[in-house]
Amino acid sequence: MTNDMHEWLAGYVDGELPEEQRRQFEEELKRNPKLREELATFQKLQEVTGMVRYADLPDEVWESYWANIYRRLERGIGWIVFSAGAIILLLFGLYHAMSSLYAAADIPLWVKIGITGVLAGSIILLVSYGRERLFAYNRDRYKEVKR
Amino acid sequence: MCTDATLVSGIAAGDKKALGLLVQRHKKLAYRLALGLVGNKDDAFDISQEAFLRVYRSAATYDQTQPFLPWFYTIISNLCKTWLRKRSRYEHRAVDLDDVSFLLVDTRTPDTALETRELIDRLRRALMELPFKDREIITLQHFRDLSYDEIAVLLGIPRGTVMSRLYYARKKLLNLMRLHDD
Repeated sequence: MTNDMHEWLAGYVDGELPEEQRRQFEEELKRNPKLREELATFQKLQEVTGMVRYADLPDEVWESYWANIYRRLERGIGWIVFSAGAIILLLFGLYHAMSSLYAAADIPLWVKIGITGVLAGSIILLVSYGRERLFAYNRDRYKEVKR
Repeated sequence: MCTDATLVSGIAAGDKKALGLLVQRHKKLAYRLALGLVGNKDDAFDISQEAFLRVYRSAATYDQTQPFLPWFYTIISNLCKTWLRKRSRYEHRAVDLDDVSFLLVDTRTPDTALETRELIDRLRRALMELPFKDREIITLQHFRDLSYDEIAVLLGIPRGTVMSRLYYARKKLLNLMRLHDD
């Protein structure tokens, strides 16, 4: 039996084989008990998949579908603008704070390094924590459930 | 009626109404395609919405000489792959085997004996354990009832490849179902 015959099996079960291939396949089927056996398992599989359907969603979910997308779209734009503004202000503030800190002659160098470390560490921790919370929120299937 | 391509060109020009029409037209398809790939209702719902947002953001890159659905399907399929990757990284499993709502017994089928229900449960588990490409082709053919020609267009592969991919995917599915039988 050629490899083609195996692959034609799928097409035969689905009624997708062209006439000539179907005829050749049926000829082979008469001669080949192994192919008949395989055909039976494929037909059984089709029978089982025919018994199930996709879980559908209630109508009210579909009604609010577009509103959800629109909200996400607007919020996405809002967040981009907000984040860009916040980053600019933060960088500006940090630049001035650090310039003043390092310009101050009465503050020892080790204190300046310490303050820089605390600030840098806080920013890293804040970003990491925020990212974790965001991921947890996105994965929470029960976020709409009032506790 | 506007074609999908016309709507996408409207979206590229910033027309949110065009996006609304496109959503109305394809929301159920998007959800069902994602559901077949990720196997979880809530995530499929989120992914389908995200897919429309991606259409909005990438509308300018869409080639209007090509059909819309294969392009849209690629967006959904990529989102599902990313979702499955993230999920396996954070939860150490690729799919949600506990979500019994993924496939339901068809109420039109009179035979809902225990044996049948067990068989369907084995099918559901086996489906979710299939490699992505195999699950993709199986769900498109068995649960979307698409013809080989339609699948070929959607996936951008020759018709013959659809047939051979279906053959090997079904073989794997049957093996996995037997495995769950033991």
